[in-house]
Amino acid sequence: MTVGLTKTYGHATRRAHLPGRAATGEVRALEDLTISVAEGEIFGFLGPNGAGKSTTIRLLLGYLHPTAGSATVLGFDIVRDSVAIRGRVGYLPGGIALYDSLSGERLLDYLGELTGRPSIRRAELLDRLELSARTLRRPVRDYSRGMRQKIGIIQALQHDPELAILDEPTEGLDPLMQRAFYAILDDLKAAGRTIFFSSHVLSEVERVCDRVAIVRRGRLVALQDVASLLEHRKRNVELRAADGDLPALDGVAGVSGIGRTADGRLTCQLEGDVGPFLAAIAGHRITDLTIEPAHLEEAFLELYEDTEPEDADGAPTSQTVPPPVAVG
Amino acid sequence: MNRVLFGHLWRSQRTKLLIICVAMAAWNVFLPVIYQSFGIQMKALVDSGIIPKQLTNFGGGDVFSLAGAIALGYVHPISIILVSIFAIGFTTSAVAGERQRGTLEVLLARPLSRRAVYLTTLAAVLSFIGLVLAAASVGTVVGSTIVGVLDELAIDRLPMLWLNGMLLWGGFAAIGLAASVSFDRLTPAIGVTVAIVIVMYFLDILGSLWPDAKGLQPYSLFHYLASRDILTGVVSLGGLAILAAVGAVAIGVALVVFPRRDLAAPS
Repeated sequence: MTVGLTKTYGHATRRAHLPGRAATGEVRALEDLTISVAEGEIFGFLGPNGAGKSTTIRLLLGYLHPTAGSATVLGFDIVRDSVAIRGRVGYLPGGIALYDSLSGERLLDYLGELTGRPSIRRAELLDRLELSARTLRRPVRDYSRGMRQKIGIIQALQHDPELAILDEPTEGLDPLMQRAFYAILDDLKAAGRTIFFSSHVLSEVERVCDRVAIVRRGRLVALQDVASLLEHRKRNVELRAADGDLPALDGVAGVSGIGRTADGRLTCQLEGDVGPFLAAIAGHRITDLTIEPAHLEEAFLELYEDTEPEDADGAPTSQTVPPPVAVG
Repeated sequence: MNRVLFGHLWRSQRTKLLIICVAMAAWNVFLPVIYQSFGIQMKALVDSGIIPKQLTNFGGGDVFSLAGAIALGYVHPISIILVSIFAIGFTTSAVAGERQRGTLEVLLARPLSRRAVYLTTLAAVLSFIGLVLAAASVGTVVGSTIVGVLDELAIDRLPMLWLNGMLLWGGFAAIGLAASVSFDRLTPAIGVTVAIVIVMYFLDILGSLWPDAKGLQPYSLFHYLASRDILTGVVSLGGLAILAAVGAVAIGVALVVFPRRDLAAPS
């Protein structure tokens, strides 16, 4: 749980004139983040590069010290009890770097010994991610990017942590391995483990997460159930009617953006309850109807497309950043 | 101090450590041989005036005795380079190098405090330096035995010489580690540490060769490596205390700086 977690870099009175600095001379990597992740849920943490995802994770694990606010992980304070937190958490850093001279097996042994807990899930994870004993005997320097990522996943999860913090975990994995990884997450969730999942791959967040927080320029802009977020997004509708008998959709609840294509199809966007829309098209000779399901990507882009005044260098200022859209 | 990390550091350095210990021992075998084979001729050469007498002050000012020859070996660039491989190379890359490569992320994701990482690395490097200096002592004894001058060597003073070397190189190692925990990249950590060692080395050399610059020597830690004095029975506790104090300050700085600094994501 974080309460008003804030991280700024720089100095309030120095170098304010430099590019990339806010008016005060400070760079706000994270501002007033308040979120709570429930035990046993898969929590997605979304945002583009530089939004503050990694900063948040690094604050939670003690790599960075908060400028303001507080946070607890598994009941431990992130400043005072950082070592205790890391003893209970499995962490996969984004773009993980490994000790190249070690073999995969020796590396996992070493990291497992440092964690101080038995690697009870290692055999299962090796099997599911298709890493053979022969592969593990080779030095890590010979591994492909995907194999390194698999090792990264295994080192984070092999000791069956109560909480897994995974930063871009499917980076470099092929689609089959991604599917295997999602199945691992499902099993972890079924076993009551909590997953904090940072990604900018929206489709996978939609696939695996229960709730999602979206950050933009260091601030929380949305915190919702994935289902709820999708429910309130607009769906793209396209329909074709025989003999041009298109329904009149103006004024129908939830329908917007009505248009016609050159070949006579009607397009619109539909939000919320589909009942009024279906009632409106009833009685017309509809020959084709497509309603595209709402994707998180669209919801995400919608949130990001909100215009936001910027300072001359493109950095948000404290006066112009809007408050979070929803916190709940 | 973490046993697993300590073991990992030892395993990763053992080949290098073995090679350097052998090289250091070989170099120190060589010094009594040079003394026995060429000492008299060299003294005659210097006495003839062909070589300026001031040059004989290098390394303690008595290069024609066994103690002087051994002392010269301790401040010779070959020794300096061999010990620096751990005292500078290992220490500066221990944290800043891991940070630059990104592997510190994985290490600090374990339940290890930064102080534990620092102290374990310090313990490891002190053990490496201790072994290299012990190899030097072994080489000295072996060399003296080979050329039949063992009776001229005060073997009972070698442990004090080892301690003196440990305090000097332990101090530089502590400075290297303090630089390593302070920077995100390897280059500045190495640059700062190498600059300190080189400046101090030349201050000491300059002071020993040029009487007008003698006042600069106390500003160099090398000045307090009194190998010849120790081997002839003179121990400067003040010098040892200064070396210990410098090391302690560097350790203190690192123990304060490292846990408090932010470790942003590697670029």
